[in-house]
Amino acid sequence: MERQIINKKKRVFSLEPNKNPSAVFTRKYTRHLVPALKKLNMNKNSSQTNQQTVKHEVDMALALSAQEFAWSRFLLQKLSSSKNPTTTTSSSSNRIRILERSGKEGGDEDGEIEKKLKELQKLLPGGEEMSVEEMLSEIGNYIKCLELQTIALKSIVQETT
Amino acid sequence: MLEGLVSQESFMDMSVLERLKWVQQQQQQLQQVVSQSSNNSPGLFQILQFHGSNNDELLQSTFSHVQMLGSGFGPNYNMGFGSQHEAMDGCISRTSSCHMESVDAMGFMLKNNEENRVIALKNKRKQEVKTSEEEKAEKKIKVEIETESSMKGKSNMSITEASSDTSKETSKGASENQKLDYIHVRARRGQATDRHSLAERARREKISKKMKYLQDIVPGCNKVTGKAGMLDEIINYVQCLQRQVEFLSMKLAVLNPELEINMEDVSVKQFQAYFTNLPVVGASKQSIMVDVPLFPLDQQGSLDLSAINPNQTTSIEAPSASWEAQSQNLYNTSSFGFQY
Repeated sequence: MERQIINKKKRVFSLEPNKNPSAVFTRKYTRHLVPALKKLNMNKNSSQTNQQTVKHEVDMALALSAQEFAWSRFLLQKLSSSKNPTTTTSSSSNRIRILERSGKEGGDEDGEIEKKLKELQKLLPGGEEMSVEEMLSEIGNYIKCLELQTIALKSIVQETT
Repeated sequence: MLEGLVSQESFMDMSVLERLKWVQQQQQQLQQVVSQSSNNSPGLFQILQFHGSNNDELLQSTFSHVQMLGSGFGPNYNMGFGSQHEAMDGCISRTSSCHMESVDAMGFMLKNNEENRVIALKNKRKQEVKTSEEEKAEKKIKVEIETESSMKGKSNMSITEASSDTSKETSKGASENQKLDYIHVRARRGQATDRHSLAERARREKISKKMKYLQDIVPGCNKVTGKAGMLDEIINYVQCLQRQVEFLSMKLAVLNPELEINMEDVSVKQFQAYFTNLPVVGASKQSIMVDVPLFPLDQQGSLDLSAINPNQTTSIEAPSASWEAQSQNLYNTSSFGFQY
């Protein structure tokens, strides 16, 4: 440990890598995803529906590596039921919504909040089946997992470039 | 002595009725006179005497009757023989208390006498009490309730019975209303007493706790106040993250055929990305290099995930245009710092 501190050029390890939850998640994730991708690579030579299948694998890896959360179960269900998973909404509509937000004030406040909670529920896999309180707590760890997923994906992409 | 009192009582019952009628007649005159003249109790007294010169007996009887009334009211009731003038005021207040019409004289009475006493007697004038300062309403109402209960045991109930039914009903209705109002005010002030509101409050507090936690997670939420704004931010953030994942997976899909990943290398390099600030040198391969958005460091030294040379972009036929657009989107919309 002292050597690590002295020699800054060396890599820094966490003392208990197995317990750091983000590390755990990322490790799991990559362990799921990379072999799956390799398998995909080997099985399919044509890249016709490659994007969808890759997305499928990505989501599957996410769900599998976050199994302690409620939303992962829902996500798994979704993935196993449909081969073509639904993608998220297109960016343009979301952008328009973002711009609209700044103009609205007052009015039907409670109704607005309800609407937004419902939207949030739609974003979260399985959010519509949960109560609002549950959904709020699930959203927190869903966001974390999404962040970690993007890190993992980026590093994988880096690897291949 | 007692017999005398009793006889007086019976006499007074009759006289009360007569008295009331007489007072009704005098009401209007009183109003006129009092509004004109200054609020002076001797003035009133004079008027009464003037008008009621024939009814000295009546007045005397009422006076003594009033004394009996007074005996029932306990310490609050200041009924002294002190000044006859005061007693007369009390008489007048009591006699005219049967009537709902507000009189300036009555307002004047309020000023001169002790509030409690006057209000205690004004069972039928609760509407006026309502209209007067609401802050003292509770106290007044309490006194009224007390006096009402004490009144019930006394012979002065005959007065209430003697009075018109409507006034009685209205008085009771008014008292009930005021009792209801009393309770209502209570509930409004101390909302926590109601079970439902308690549960609601607990629920709301839970939700606000969670919102605070989310505020910590989602970058940029600190600047926005209010639930709606925060929810908006959270929604945007989640959507951004999801879009990123999509984008990255598309990239992967393109790169997939050239995947040559060693598992160990991946994990190691990941942690490098976690903790260090490695810029990635441009690949030697001739594959596509698409801009991946920069994730700048936050002040507190959080992680810089990846930094790719933003300048190298080569285009390939089909998907690149969309990729570039996407990357531009990501550049524009994201300036995240992941914090752990």
